[in-house]
Amino acid sequence: MNTTLLSILALLIFPGGLFLLGYGLAYEYVDRKLVARFQNRVGPRWFQPLADVVKLLAKEEIVPHGVQRGLFIFLPVAALAAALTAALYVPMAGQVPSYSFNGDLIVTIYLLSLLTICMGLAGANTIDRFSVVGATRVLTQLFSYEAPFLLALLSPAIMAKSWQISEINIYTHNNLWFVLTQPIGFLVALVGLMGKLELPPFDAPEAETEIVSGALTEYSGRGLALFRLGKDVELVIGLTLVAAFYLGGIANPLEFVLKTLALLVVVAGLQSLFARLRIDQTVGLWWRLGAILGLAQILFVIFWRLVLR
Amino acid sequence: MSSQTALQTAEELLKPYAMEMIKQEEDFRLDVLLSPDQLHEAVKALHDARWGYLSAIAGVDHPAPVIGEDANASGTVQEKGKESQVEVLYVFCQGAAVLVLRLKVPYTHAELPTVCDLIPSATLYERELMEMFGVEIHGTPVKDRLLLPDEWPEGVYPLRKATIIGTTRSGSEE
Amino acid sequence: METRKSSEKFVVPIGPQHPALKEPGHFEFTVDGEIVTGASVRLGYVHRGIEKGAEDRTWTQNIYLLERICGICSHVHATAYVLGVEKLAGVSAPPRAQAIRTVTAELERIHSHLLWLGVAAHEGGFDTLFMYSWRDRETVMDLLELISGNRVHYSTNVLGGVKYDLDTEKMDAIRRGLDFLEERTHHYMKVVTTDETFLARTRGVGLMTREQAEALGAVGPTARASSVRRDIRIDAPYAAYPDFPVKLITDDGGDLLARFVVRLKELFESYRVIRAILDQMPEGELTTRVPRRIPAGEVISRVEAPRGELFYYIKSNGGEKPERIKVRTPSLCNWGTVVSVAVGHKLADMPMLLAGIDPCFSCNDRMVRINRGQGAQFWSWENLRQYGIEYYR
Repeated sequence: MNTTLLSILALLIFPGGLFLLGYGLAYEYVDRKLVARFQNRVGPRWFQPLADVVKLLAKEEIVPHGVQRGLFIFLPVAALAAALTAALYVPMAGQVPSYSFNGDLIVTIYLLSLLTICMGLAGANTIDRFSVVGATRVLTQLFSYEAPFLLALLSPAIMAKSWQISEINIYTHNNLWFVLTQPIGFLVALVGLMGKLELPPFDAPEAETEIVSGALTEYSGRGLALFRLGKDVELVIGLTLVAAFYLGGIANPLEFVLKTLALLVVVAGLQSLFARLRIDQTVGLWWRLGAILGLAQILFVIFWRLVLR
Repeated sequence: MSSQTALQTAEELLKPYAMEMIKQEEDFRLDVLLSPDQLHEAVKALHDARWGYLSAIAGVDHPAPVIGEDANASGTVQEKGKESQVEVLYVFCQGAAVLVLRLKVPYTHAELPTVCDLIPSATLYERELMEMFGVEIHGTPVKDRLLLPDEWPEGVYPLRKATIIGTTRSGSEE
Repeated sequence: METRKSSEKFVVPIGPQHPALKEPGHFEFTVDGEIVTGASVRLGYVHRGIEKGAEDRTWTQNIYLLERICGICSHVHATAYVLGVEKLAGVSAPPRAQAIRTVTAELERIHSHLLWLGVAAHEGGFDTLFMYSWRDRETVMDLLELISGNRVHYSTNVLGGVKYDLDTEKMDAIRRGLDFLEERTHHYMKVVTTDETFLARTRGVGLMTREQAEALGAVGPTARASSVRRDIRIDAPYAAYPDFPVKLITDDGGDLLARFVVRLKELFESYRVIRAILDQMPEGELTTRVPRRIPAGEVISRVEAPRGELFYYIKSNGGEKPERIKVRTPSLCNWGTVVSVAVGHKLADMPMLLAGIDPCFSCNDRMVRINRGQGAQFWSWENLRQYGIEYYR
């Protein structure tokens, strides 16, 4: 009885559900505000992300002509659900993950990809040209950053000799921060996260000056709100993963807040530093540079483990 | 002076085609009156000699003096033996030198050959001329509407003097 | 779904309403994957019938009408017009007036180029540069407001001279503003020529050789970036340019990067010319008398707008109103370059290519006053009013 209640709480309130949604919105605010300040703008007020979501939820959801209706409604739900589920396996807010098993790292990474795949499908589902071009770009980008991102998260896993996020977290906590020993992996992971979240300069899939809003052009109201929430949640989870793996693990809520916020500042800075990359440049960058670096990192780690220990 | 020599070159180039030439030395300007069938050759001569660039094509409406209310734009009215005409100005520039090729086409034969085969950039100017003055340009690559709205009636040419916006005096309908 | 299957071509429409366009225009890019294989343009969405309207207004009224052709280069339209009319009338504005005209024109060029820098950067997804350049643009907007009281339509020109004088206080303010802007422009120059991601979007993109630029009729900075040596301020100096010559800026790159570099270098040239004029500002009257009826005749007036050569043809019948005013704006010339150069590029380059010529839709679309009605009818103001009354009854 008690465990069931706890499970439900874990799903709905903390770390999944409400807490994550609120925290995601807060991080969206921090991100927007920081980018605005870097760009010498005033930026939004603290409740702006929430206001956006509320406004979108209150709006009529238009199902455009020519889409598969069920899919159109289901995809945003699936996207948010996947992102929220992923939260159960990461050491959210410094607490032990709600669920943990050997291999949950891989599951988490795939749950995080599900959001992107849902967006791609959502774009391909409509007959709008901007959406279709956007969907192609979303999926193209998915295939380019996913491998380097995975490789970058694997090397700490290999060091910790575990596929379990909680164990890696403990291992990194007890050792020198990996950001110092494996800076390449850290960089690839962080930039990979930006690609995953389609933040500038990797925002070609939703380049507004070319294809309006990319895959989500036809979405309005509830669907759009869910996709945006999904992205916010993914931002938090992604930052948590990178912090847990490279910034010496997350042992308590304070560490969680400080480390993820520090990462967010870096991410916001990177966002305002560059011009948007074309999709072919993104792919080129990831496969020519990201994947090679990630691979080199992994090989080095394996070599280290086999030979030097 | 280079603009002076440019004008002299133009004068020599266009001598075989011109009906009349008017030179304004202080403005470095040369006006050449051409007949419509000489236009293409004249432009070709300029183009082959790489003289300047086509700066603009301007239309000027010269409606026949109208007496009475039954006038319409189709050119059937001829008062005092004078026909309604559209004057078309092809303005070429090189440095300060300005060369104007002037052609007059009557409403009844408002036709000109295209110069797009020589000067590709002329297409937008020619389309504008077609829409605004109803001068048919033969052989111009694209004849789609450029500026006027899609529902604009055929045969109404807004920059002709007879077209008074707000009423339909020049329209062929009504 | 059918539409996509039945036609081989996949057309991406940009406009009339599209985030890349700040003004309405319509472009259709036929794409194969991400590669553009065809392009076409349709204009006319902001047609206001200014050429026709000008025939119905007095010579003085037309200054204000023509100034409203464009919100960015308003002064240069009025300058082309008043210079033409003054020539027809056989008068010329006093030297001080010409100098003030030129100062305003160059300030306007600065404001236009900075605006363009921001828009072009935004099209390339470089919003930080966009925000910074627009912030700095406020400086020059403030200067224009200081001179004329207006940020957009300065109305500096009158027939035979200018309205506003520059006293030492204003001149000092302008100098201070220019010092700040010059420093910032050095920074932008550095960003544009050294930032790797930005270079990846501009270098070699939209390549246009000199021959192409000439054949396609490019003008202004777009042409000069392809090393076409053409600038009306130098070829046929007007206003105060004979006394304060500018230097011709060209670049032989021919790509988007060259267009950035040319425009930024022109900014430095503008700063220099304004300072030179302020240092040697001629003394004297601001206006001369221009008759109400302009003698019959015709004149071709050409000036260098921020976007290139602006062409005015003015014909007078000796009356109070012009017989015909033909305006050919620089943006119209440059469209041809976009449509031809687009083919073979990636879809992602299109917004930057479009922005690269610094298009101004309002400038293009000026000829016809449209009374949109149902079917093929003209609606007069009276009809429209009546319709409105009926509709809401």
